[in-house]
This record gives sequence, structure tokens and C-alpha cells, in this order.
Amino acid sequence: MKIRNECRDWRELLGVYALGQLEGDERAGLEAHLEGCAQCRAELALLEPVARMLPHADPERFESAAPQPPPELGARIAATIAGEQQRTAKRRRRRVFGGFALGGATAALAAVVLAIFVLGGGSGEPEQHVRFASLPQGVKIDATLEPHAYGTEIRMYVHGIASGTLCTVSLKGPGGVSYPAGTFRYRWGEDSEAVLSSALDLSRTRAVVVQAGERTFVAPLGRAPIAANTQLEEEST
Amino acid sequence: MIQLGTSTRGALSRERDVREAYAAHSGELYGFAVRSLGDAGLAEEAVQETFVRAWRAGDRFDPKIGSLRTWLFAILRNVVIDLGRARAVRPGVAEGGIEPSVEPLEEALLSWQVEEAMRRIGDDHRRVIVETYYRGRPYAEVAEELGVPEGTIKSRVYYGLRALRVVLEEMGYED
Repeated sequence: MKIRNECRDWRELLGVYALGQLEGDERAGLEAHLEGCAQCRAELALLEPVARMLPHADPERFESAAPQPPPELGARIAATIAGEQQRTAKRRRRRVFGGFALGGATAALAAVVLAIFVLGGGSGEPEQHVRFASLPQGVKIDATLEPHAYGTEIRMYVHGIASGTLCTVSLKGPGGVSYPAGTFRYRWGEDSEAVLSSALDLSRTRAVVVQAGERTFVAPLGRAPIAANTQLEEEST
Repeated sequence: MIQLGTSTRGALSRERDVREAYAAHSGELYGFAVRSLGDAGLAEEAVQETFVRAWRAGDRFDPKIGSLRTWLFAILRNVVIDLGRARAVRPGVAEGGIEPSVEPLEEALLSWQVEEAMRRIGDDHRRVIVETYYRGRPYAEVAEELGVPEGTIKSRVYYGLRALRVVLEEMGYED
């Protein structure tokens, strides 16, 4: 857009005017110009909403450097996603394994796939299986905790609560400090397992806390971790 | 290690997409998370949860509807709400827990946007807006301090607001 020379001088005052700080002759002159100049009025209309947003900012904050995420966060997220991806593949494979009538060739192939998984997966560190006690009749909540470099992976199994109930899970560390693990909804008739993660190391985890709807359930962790056992996992499919 | 997840269509490329998205947007997302949660540890949690959710729901991202940045911020917003809620109902908050942020989320988002935009404009522009608008100093005084004519200070305010608008638009601001 071509700007007339006359406009250029007035235009450079529009910022101060939008901030409500233009006074005296300059203000009167600019207002007279705006009356007759649609282009400058349009320009002012672009600046006014910006000027109105300024009170929301605190100069103390933006004059200091922006906070930066710690350098290892990216790797932690990549590890979480890679782990989740592997588990999705693993579950899919287990379903395939259970679904086939075990005819010779298929069974052999499945066995090979399973063997690859066993060799490829598993860090060798123990999982912990946690059963929630003192639950209302018909309700069952279990959790399997698995240690990772980023913290702890939590696989939740819930049965017997209202379908669609929002469940919020956290881990309790030393001193009762909570580390959020995320949320999920329990749905009838669907895969009842929810996979969550928390930054708290398993070795420092003292309890698992599940808030299901209005109720909160806490399961303290036993001292001796139960060793990882693929057989146990198979039972859940 | 043997890659076992490759059978899922597009899964590997999606994982790479997440890495690229992280490189491009994690700083901003983290900045907003710190601003709204008031705690660096929780902010890390929130950013991690945002990218994990984004990855899980990767199929649902449609660039025709909005930018990746907007989508990630929408997820982060939900994560921050969830974290705030978890914090409010968490057992044992009374014994030394962190109090929930009192600033409403929308206000925190607006403040963060303007502050982030102020950081991104040129030093000269930011300086005159801070001195004249935020500190309320006379234009003549600021001009003398910086050794430039008063008219230059005024025009810098104009170009500064212009630049702010461009940055805010890049961040998704619309009239």
C-alpha cells in the first residue's frame, strides 16, 4: 500500500495516540487528519487492540529471560513414546497370539515373534504389582508399575465402576509429595487397561493414588517388589 | 534394539513428527506451563503429558483446521486444567503441598502471550514501550537518555506496536 507523504508523519504518532499519551497540538492535529483519512484510521484500528493488551503483561517478567525446559526433557518424552509404542505392538501381538487356533505353522511363527519380544524388550528391572484393598463391593483396581529412565510407567486396570468415570492417578513419593500420572476414563466393554506415566522413580514411590469420580483410593507399595513375570501379564489378556 | 512398532502405519514417522514438534514448540509450551502452574517441576510434567497425548491422538490432528502450535496449546491447556484439578483434590495438599494457582487460566494465557511477544520484538522498540508506557516516563526524558530526538521515540512506539501485532498474529492472535 502506498503511503502519502502527509500520512507518514501522522502515522508515526499513531502508537503514542493508541496508548492514550499524545497531547496538545499533536493530538488535535492527528485527530483532524484521522477525520479525513480512512487509511490512517484503518492503521489505528490495527494498533488499538494491541495497546489494550499491554496492561496484561508484566515488564518484570518479559525483561527477564524466558524459562527454558531442561535439556533432558525431550529425551524423556521420546523414551516415553517409544516405550508406549512398543507396548502397543506387544499387546496387539498377544491378541493375535491368543486369537489364532494354534495350527502348526502359525503357532511356530507366533512363538518366534514372542521370542523376539522377550529378547528385545524388558530392562531386567522388576515391576511392581499393586492391588487396591478396601474397595466398595464389585470394584476392582489394580496397577502394575514399571521403572523407566524417565520415571515410572503405570498400567491401571479398573473394573466395576460407572462407565465414563474420570480417573485421576498420581504417585506419592517421600514426604507425601504427589507426582501426577495423568487421567483416563473407565469404559465398559473396552480394553480396561490404561497406560500412564509419572516422573517419580519407582524406587521412591510410596503409594499409588486413584481418584475415581468422587472417591479417592490409596494403595501403599509393599517393600519387596514382585519380579517381572510374563506369565502374569498373559493372564490379563 | 529390534524395532517392534514398525507395523503400525505411519507410527514411526509420527514419532519423528513429535520430535520436530518438540524442537519447534517446547520452549513456548514450557514457558506457558511455568506461567500458569507457577512450578518448574509441574511444568515439565505438563509438557511431557502434552506431547504424549499429542502422539497418542496424532491421527486426529488436521492441519486444515489449525496449526500444530494451536493444537499443542489446546492440549496443554487441558493438561494444565487436569493438573490443577488433581492438585486441588490431592490428598495431603495441606501438609506442605503447592497451593493451586489463583490466576484464571485464560488470563494467564493472555498475559503469557503479551509477555512472550514483548520478548520477541526488537530491543529498541521494547525499551521505549517499557520506559514510556509501563514506567510512565516523559518522552522528552527518555529521548535525552537515549540521545535521540523525541520524534524518534514516538515513532519507535508506533513501530514497536506494529511489531507486537505481527508477533501476536504469528502466535495465533486474531481481532
